[in-house]
Amino acid sequence: MSETNPQVPPDAEAVLKAQKRRNIWLAWALVAFVVIVGVTTAIRIQQSDLSGGDRLYFSGYLDEAGKEKRDREAIERARAAEKEAESTRAATEDGGDE
Amino acid sequence: MSVDMPVTQPQARLASARDYVELMKPRIMMLVVFTALAGMVAAVGVTGQSMNPVLACVAVLAVALGSGAAGAINMWYDSDIDEIMVRTSTRPIPSGAVPRGEALTMGLIMSALSVLLMWIASNVLAASLLALSIAYYGWFYTMVLKRRTAQNIVIGGAAGAFPPVIGWAAVTGATPLDAWILFAIVFFWTPPHFWALSLVAHKEYEKAGVPMLPVTSGARATRLQILLYTILLVPVGLAPVATGLAGWIYAGIASILTVGFLYFAVKVYRSRAGDDDAGDAERKLAMSMFAFSIVYLFGLFAALIVEHGFGLYFSAGGG
Repeated sequence: MSETNPQVPPDAEAVLKAQKRRNIWLAWALVAFVVIVGVTTAIRIQQSDLSGGDRLYFSGYLDEAGKEKRDREAIERARAAEKEAESTRAATEDGGDE
Repeated sequence: MSVDMPVTQPQARLASARDYVELMKPRIMMLVVFTALAGMVAAVGVTGQSMNPVLACVAVLAVALGSGAAGAINMWYDSDIDEIMVRTSTRPIPSGAVPRGEALTMGLIMSALSVLLMWIASNVLAASLLALSIAYYGWFYTMVLKRRTAQNIVIGGAAGAFPPVIGWAAVTGATPLDAWILFAIVFFWTPPHFWALSLVAHKEYEKAGVPMLPVTSGARATRLQILLYTILLVPVGLAPVATGLAGWIYAGIASILTVGFLYFAVKVYRSRAGDDDAGDAERKLAMSMFAFSIVYLFGLFAALIVEHGFGLYFSAGGG
């Protein structure tokens, strides 16, 4: 196989070189993207408090609705517990009177 | 080294990194990034909410990528008319540096990456707005409006108006009235800005079959529309002062720039810019208005950045 192919246009090497250069740029761009995603994710995890059922990538207004729902449920649970405690107390007092 | 391997299709000239940057319409990208940044800074100043600086940088990068993606899709679709017009014939696709398919691929991949980046850096609302603005420009404006109606710039102007709202949403996860006022400023600014340019380039648009206002309704009607939209822009441009979004610095800068913009609009209206017998002076006047409109928008958003980013907000009594 010869070094230069007569059927190939004279600037073919330049075309390949340019392609290679573009591919290197593309590779660097991909590496940068991976780094950016990695750093961003690390910061988001560091900032997040996932204990209350929050989700990492659904913050902002969607979480507002979720937070309100959780708050409502917590209030309802507290009221129910209070009611139960009251009825238990009443039952105990009734028992004491007898 | 052997070179008898298949190479890509013959190209008129070799593509350089510059061509790919050019594909992303860097001048528009700069304006988009600047207005998005102003939206973010204003959101921090008004709401008191903060954003991690690294995440803020990533969000700005996402906006830039999204703008570039929409630009690449636009260049892919419009390559046939870009070839016809002298002003755009040296763009990467008509000049043969970048194949059309490559531009489309680049646009689509960058669109996806920008939305993904915005999502992971901020929230789903900002990412959705970014996706919407890319689709609005890349599909609705480019493929639906541009070649069909003379109102293409008016309706399509919304695409360029989204960035400050996206910036605001990235910080707060919400889009209150103040964010939409910034949207309105860019929206009402776009027609006089672009029609000033089209008064000069209308023959090219006509040749390419693009129904810009000067082509469909004539230069006189365009000059009137420029004046009307500039008058409409006056209250919109000063609205941030009324709502308390902006203070005295903005009020001062906006007032001066508004007077300047009105001055150019009246001068262009009274001139023969865009007419067949228009001379060099008229062409220069239209181009001066085009250039001043950029200064106007830059000035308004820079004032917001100065007020909220450097703690120089002094309430002008609004809000």
